[in-house]
Amino acid sequence: MDLLVEVRQGVAVVVPRTEFLDASSAEEFKRAIASTLEAYKKIVLDVSGIQFVDSAGLGALLSCLRKAASGGGDLKICGLTKPVRSVFEIARLHRVFDIYPNQADAVLAFDAV
Amino acid sequence: MVRESVVNQDMATQAPLKEFIEQHIRYSLGKQDYGLSQREWFQAIALATRDRLVDAMLDTETRYEKVKAKRLYYLSLEFLIGRSLGNNLDNLGIRQMCIDTLKDFDVNLAEVQEAERDAALGNGGLGRLAACFLDSLATLGMPGFGYGINYEYGLFRQEIDNGYQVEKPDNWLSHGTPWQIERPEDAVFIPIYGRVESSVDRHGAYNPMWLDWKVLIGVPHDMPIVGHGGHTVNYLRLYSARSSQDFDMQIFNHGDYIQAVQQKIATETISKVLYPSDSVEAGRELRLTQEYFLVACAIRDIVRRYRKDYHNFDDFSSQVAIQLNDTHPALSVAELMRVLIDENDLEWDKAWEITQATLGYTNHTLMPEALEKWSVPLFETLLPRHLQIIYQINQQFMEVVTKKWPGDLEKESRVSLIEEGRPKQVRMAHLSILGSHSVNGVSELHSNLVKTQLVPEFYELFPERFNNKTNGVTQRRWLLQANPKLGNLLLKTLGSGWITDLNKLRGLEKYAGDSSFQEEFQSIKRINKERLGVTIHDRNHVSVNPDSLFDVHIKRIHEYKRQLLKVMHIIHEYLLFVEDGKAPTVPRTYVFAGKAAPGYWAAKQIIKLINNVGQVINHDARVGDMMKVVFVPDYRVTLAEQIIPAADLSEQISTAGTEASGTSNMKFAMNGGITMGTWDGANIEIFEEVGEGNYFTFGLRAEKVHEMEKTGSYRPRDHYANPDVKRVVDALGSNLFSPREPGLFRWIYDALLEKDTYFHLADLPAYLASQGEVGQEFKRREIWQKKAIMNVARSGKFSSDRTIRQYADEIWDIKPVL
Repeated sequence: MDLLVEVRQGVAVVVPRTEFLDASSAEEFKRAIASTLEAYKKIVLDVSGIQFVDSAGLGALLSCLRKAASGGGDLKICGLTKPVRSVFEIARLHRVFDIYPNQADAVLAFDAV
Repeated sequence: MVRESVVNQDMATQAPLKEFIEQHIRYSLGKQDYGLSQREWFQAIALATRDRLVDAMLDTETRYEKVKAKRLYYLSLEFLIGRSLGNNLDNLGIRQMCIDTLKDFDVNLAEVQEAERDAALGNGGLGRLAACFLDSLATLGMPGFGYGINYEYGLFRQEIDNGYQVEKPDNWLSHGTPWQIERPEDAVFIPIYGRVESSVDRHGAYNPMWLDWKVLIGVPHDMPIVGHGGHTVNYLRLYSARSSQDFDMQIFNHGDYIQAVQQKIATETISKVLYPSDSVEAGRELRLTQEYFLVACAIRDIVRRYRKDYHNFDDFSSQVAIQLNDTHPALSVAELMRVLIDENDLEWDKAWEITQATLGYTNHTLMPEALEKWSVPLFETLLPRHLQIIYQINQQFMEVVTKKWPGDLEKESRVSLIEEGRPKQVRMAHLSILGSHSVNGVSELHSNLVKTQLVPEFYELFPERFNNKTNGVTQRRWLLQANPKLGNLLLKTLGSGWITDLNKLRGLEKYAGDSSFQEEFQSIKRINKERLGVTIHDRNHVSVNPDSLFDVHIKRIHEYKRQLLKVMHIIHEYLLFVEDGKAPTVPRTYVFAGKAAPGYWAAKQIIKLINNVGQVINHDARVGDMMKVVFVPDYRVTLAEQIIPAADLSEQISTAGTEASGTSNMKFAMNGGITMGTWDGANIEIFEEVGEGNYFTFGLRAEKVHEMEKTGSYRPRDHYANPDVKRVVDALGSNLFSPREPGLFRWIYDALLEKDTYFHLADLPAYLASQGEVGQEFKRREIWQKKAIMNVARSGKFSSDRTIRQYADEIWDIKPVL
């Protein structure tokens, strides 16, 4: 899977280039993001291009969050589209992730900390 | 006769119906206006009618939005709609216009109507009640909407082979239906299965996450529901299940195309078929999935609509009322809680307050075997998060119970949401009661029994929740359309007020003894009997005498409804005639119809018995025209519309305390059928309304039955000593009615003498005596006609308009928006 990774103020901003994060792409996504999770402590995941997430996709996102946390880092997420937001709510993941409207706010939030 | 008084002038002045029909023939069907089949004519006319419905539906919605009207959502696994064309034409007030228009094409509306398939999305009374309620809501101009499942296969088609019921699939959507509007843009996303992972949120608070679920998609199809006069058009929203994407991508990507297709088919099975009553055991997982599917689709849609206008949930229960038609949609309690607390971050107590204030529950049965329970392991597999919520509700409830009855473990176990055992079960009635602000029964007697016998502890805890809403039926379908000749007589005599205010039929009382009115009334009944006679001849190849007393028992076949008691009366009359030479007082045609659940052996045997008894009696030359017994196959709304207007005697003979209300009893009374009824359900209220002299009653009262059940004091053999009882029971035990299958009905003999669960023998002597009175009275034609007319005149209470007004005022708090 294509990921766009840009480092801004020490924060890795990751943009998956896919509309679907589901059973067909979740594993690939996890593999693609693994090196970034290892290399950076501060990560922003911009999912504004994603229109559909299923429970496998949620599982992949949750595993990213846990991996970041286990390495002493943090992952923030931004740009949730309406359908993605509602899937987060079904699983109560909106209470687990630190969610921001856009990349700038998410990056700024690291500074605030 | 042109029903001038029910012509809607607004609708009548719209563009000519002819143009609409021509447009649809050409552009929807792609045909010319000649050589069309009746089905094609039906489609074109229905589509032209639908155009008018849609206009009025959009206007109605604008009206509701303008005043931010509170809305009622009626959740039901069943809506027994029947045919819609006649209903829609009548309620729009354009029937005559349609008849006249079709003359230009040399087409007959009545014949076209026969091409419409019944929407048989229900089993019986419960589903038909839901359909009547929708008609009344729209007629009263109230914002009330039905939510159900768009079953591809309705209740099975019944065929009779060698006297036995054979079930055939009812693929009512095989040619599509012109009444539905598919709304893919309003499709909803429904999670199911998976697991709950306990974790903490960003602030360290407990956060159960529902993960690894599968997804169903619910696609709504709206059927416009027009009220009388055409001013208000609500809708019935029916959901079809679709798989989340065309294929499960993971399986597809692994190359297993067949498995992917199978998974898609499995998903779509959810809305494939309506479960027949009493058959749930056969596929429990699918049934629970259906119930959840409906509830989840409905709640998501309701919340989404609400959130268009409101940013928080403070106004939810003042904008939304949800009624649960029996426990089938009871999961609404857990689903609404889940949506409020998980998806919208409400605190538990606030969510619980909103849930209770929003939901109302209608109980429809006291029969223990019909009270839904679902195994905890199944629940855990399908709906792990919902089970967690139910446990939490139960835990809080148990604190209340312990406080009220400290140390009373037996009481705790009786009222708990979870029934102990292997496996543990979730009690859906208890969940519904706890999660609702209103719990109602459907007749005075039934509502009292709910309080005193079914759930007395809940009544003690929450007396203010319990109330009664006696069922009703819509006179637009069950009188005006089903019995157009009587409808016209009523219009001529009383005007049209009764169409929307059935109490106006009281005006008939003064004509009850009028000989010329009686004559007209009787001649209409005779025409209806002739019409039914033609159907019987077509279906059963039996000729019946329209001057005979039409004695009718039509409803689901179930032991508690006691078709068997009716058969015992017939056997008694037959033996009296052929063995003792005592001819019946009047000739009678005994008409049965009804479906038995495919897995309900005893009920299916009763059908065989009725057919065999008919076979013997109808072919006995000694009997001639004095007795005919027919079982008309494939009972459904359309058949009921033919049978009910032709009935002289309405058999409502359930064991007292078993029938919650009954609604066919009301339809018969409205059409001048005199009730032969036990002291059960709404029979009692019909008796109270029509008066003692206009009703036949017999049999044990519910308290006595209950007491005998409790003490085990009923001994059927005591009644066997009665020679009339003995002769009938012995005949059942012999091979008189099963000469080619010896011993076939011996089980009935044994069951009656050993246990007789439904008290047939106890009630038989009184029943026979009361039937004797019927025969005597039917001979005195003026007296009989007067009684029949009084039944029509005093049926006003049993309009579903009255029932809906009561629900609206006392439970839903919704108002007409005119």
